[in-house]
Amino acid sequence: MTQSPTLSRRSTQSTSPLPRKSRQQGVDARAGYTFLLPWLLGFIALTVGPMISSLYLSFTNYNLFDPPKWIGLDNYTSLFQDERFLQSVGVTVSYVVFGTPLKLAAALAVAMLLNSKRRGQGFYRSAFYAPSLIGASVSIAIVWKAMFGDSGPVDQGLSFFGINLGGWVGNPGMTMPMFILLTVWQFGAPMVIFLAGLKQIPADLYEAASMDGAGPVRKFFNITWPMLSPVIFFNLLMETIHAFQIFNSAYIISNGEGGPAGSTLFYTLYLYLRGFSDFRMGYASAMAWLLLIVVGILTLIIFRTSKSWVHYSGDAK
Amino acid sequence: MINRRHFLTTVAVGTASAAALAACGTGSSTAGQTGSAENPVTINYTWWGNDDRAERTRKAIALFESKNPDIKVNGNFTDFAGYWQKRATEAAGGGLPDVMQWDLSYLRDYGQRNQLLDLSTVNINTDAFEKSLLPSGQIKGKTYGIPTSTNAFAVYYDPAKLAGLGIAEPTGKWTYKEFNEFLTEVGTKSSGALFGSTDYTGVWWMFNIWLRQNNIEAFTEDGKLGFTKDDLKKWWNLPAGLRGTPAIVSEERVTQLAPKSPFGSNVTATEVTWDNFMAGYLADSGAKELKLVPVPSDDPDNLGLFLKPSMLMVASAKTKFKDAAARFIDFMVNDPEVGQIFKTSRGVPASKTQRDGTTFEGTDKLVVDYEKSIEQYLKDAPEPPIVGFGTLETSFKRVASDLNFGKLTVDGAADAWFKEAEDLIKQNA
Repeated sequence: MTQSPTLSRRSTQSTSPLPRKSRQQGVDARAGYTFLLPWLLGFIALTVGPMISSLYLSFTNYNLFDPPKWIGLDNYTSLFQDERFLQSVGVTVSYVVFGTPLKLAAALAVAMLLNSKRRGQGFYRSAFYAPSLIGASVSIAIVWKAMFGDSGPVDQGLSFFGINLGGWVGNPGMTMPMFILLTVWQFGAPMVIFLAGLKQIPADLYEAASMDGAGPVRKFFNITWPMLSPVIFFNLLMETIHAFQIFNSAYIISNGEGGPAGSTLFYTLYLYLRGFSDFRMGYASAMAWLLLIVVGILTLIIFRTSKSWVHYSGDAK
Repeated sequence: MINRRHFLTTVAVGTASAAALAACGTGSSTAGQTGSAENPVTINYTWWGNDDRAERTRKAIALFESKNPDIKVNGNFTDFAGYWQKRATEAAGGGLPDVMQWDLSYLRDYGQRNQLLDLSTVNINTDAFEKSLLPSGQIKGKTYGIPTSTNAFAVYYDPAKLAGLGIAEPTGKWTYKEFNEFLTEVGTKSSGALFGSTDYTGVWWMFNIWLRQNNIEAFTEDGKLGFTKDDLKKWWNLPAGLRGTPAIVSEERVTQLAPKSPFGSNVTATEVTWDNFMAGYLADSGAKELKLVPVPSDDPDNLGLFLKPSMLMVASAKTKFKDAAARFIDFMVNDPEVGQIFKTSRGVPASKTQRDGTTFEGTDKLVVDYEKSIEQYLKDAPEPPIVGFGTLETSFKRVASDLNFGKLTVDGAADAWFKEAEDLIKQNA
């Protein structure tokens, strides 16, 4: 929708004589780049520069103090003999595999509830969106830690129903469910996108289906799901990439150590510890690049599979 | 090639020096820039510690500022683990604070890499220090740190809790077997309501003391490990039967209570650690009184104990205010009024001037008396440990924690730690 003004302007321009058009385009381009410049400078100095330097550092032994020493692929090969590294991969993968689908399911479910016309929907939408605004913050991680600690509200609530798990924070078997709950609770951002997608689905499709006697389940799988699939695809991509980058809450809840028993040693946390606790920046850089490559490949795979399940209303006809 | 670090450093240094020039105008090359009462210089000082130490440090800074109107001190603190991550980032960016509280574990990492100021080049009075203590702040003839105070290892206990259980107070003359029995008795008599202690084998320095009791030095002179894997296995096997019983607090609890200690949280009856934690423990636990006795040893004549600088004062090699930094360090280590403020919360003051000017009463007197009582057993203070020691200390604690979670066996834990240690020593060679 946002593209329509540009489209219409371009179409009027194409009717004007050619020289005028290219001159106008040159001015437009120059103005565009000028406006872009502050961002572009920042991008080069703060993102591209550090990325290139970290790529270089990943082939070196660099302790922050002495000049980097070239060691070729040693960092990359020693990664796979490092048990803590393999543990961090395991922790992160299980978080992504369980956390992301659950979060998306919660987001979709709530979005469907909020899609109906009811009084006070604006309030509900804001209320459900709020956790995702504050969810990644330091204070929420601290609150979460207190809630799931020994005799915290969660422990007491479960004990009331006769479930005595004790505190989750110190129990290596319960920390992962705790982190998954924390991410599921922040379903607001994908929910808003789902909600926008749901509003795009023409109501007459549902009317027609009702006439044919389809129930809610049938309507969901035959109308909502395919019509919403581009949005689901987008959310799946974004949330998967996002989940790989979990750091703040892991750092705070485990006091920056990845405990108990390494059960919260997320990939980025281990990367951070390697770099800033052990002063092994080369190793940490290698980890960062490996993560980038793996996330890139995963994104590619999701894109490939999308052809079989994502339905664009344009190309089906 | 674009290097973000260099780029940022250049910008930061450029901006900072421009600002400093504008503010001060003059600067002498030997003493660094100096200030006046109307136009004071500001130095940054950072330390680790709890609220109790923060309060005391604020008092000391206020006192220093009133005595030195030409210097302002900007204080900042974090907990111990975060402290070193912050320093690493700052060092990489060339922006270490002017004056810092320091730990022996990290003196080599930063000193040998030219991050710290050689304090023998500035004016700090060390006449009132024990000559045997100063070398622990020195590396290859350069003085990187001045000890503020000394501490020694001890077993803490809460007499009220022991009396409540009907257990006699320990004398401190005990073997490891007797110590284990004592911990078991606490757990049994309290029916698990009170644990004996945290796993004392998880603390590097206690291991170091045990090695010395067996006449082994932890590190060789060329920076390698001085003990074998079997030594470490023997150590971790000492309380093998106690893990998972009420004698030793579970690792689940320890994790949940962090950063507070189980002893400070009234979860255990004893704790084996440095004697200068007294003030912090009293504040945390609210106990009326805590007492100290020597650590166990199987050789009654060799307790393996030593006085360590509990912390050192260091300055950044890049500080622009060398003179102000030196005056602040001198004040913090020598001034008797500073001793009155900190008492034994940093350890027993290392400078005789400060020690004699401090009145120790009640619990503080216990700490001073404890260090006097073990005088006959004391050995030389250890040299600054190897480069990367801070990492080894952290991984020692982590591996021991995995051992307590039952994730690793003693043999597996020893293998895991040795692999990390050897890898680290190879990296820094």
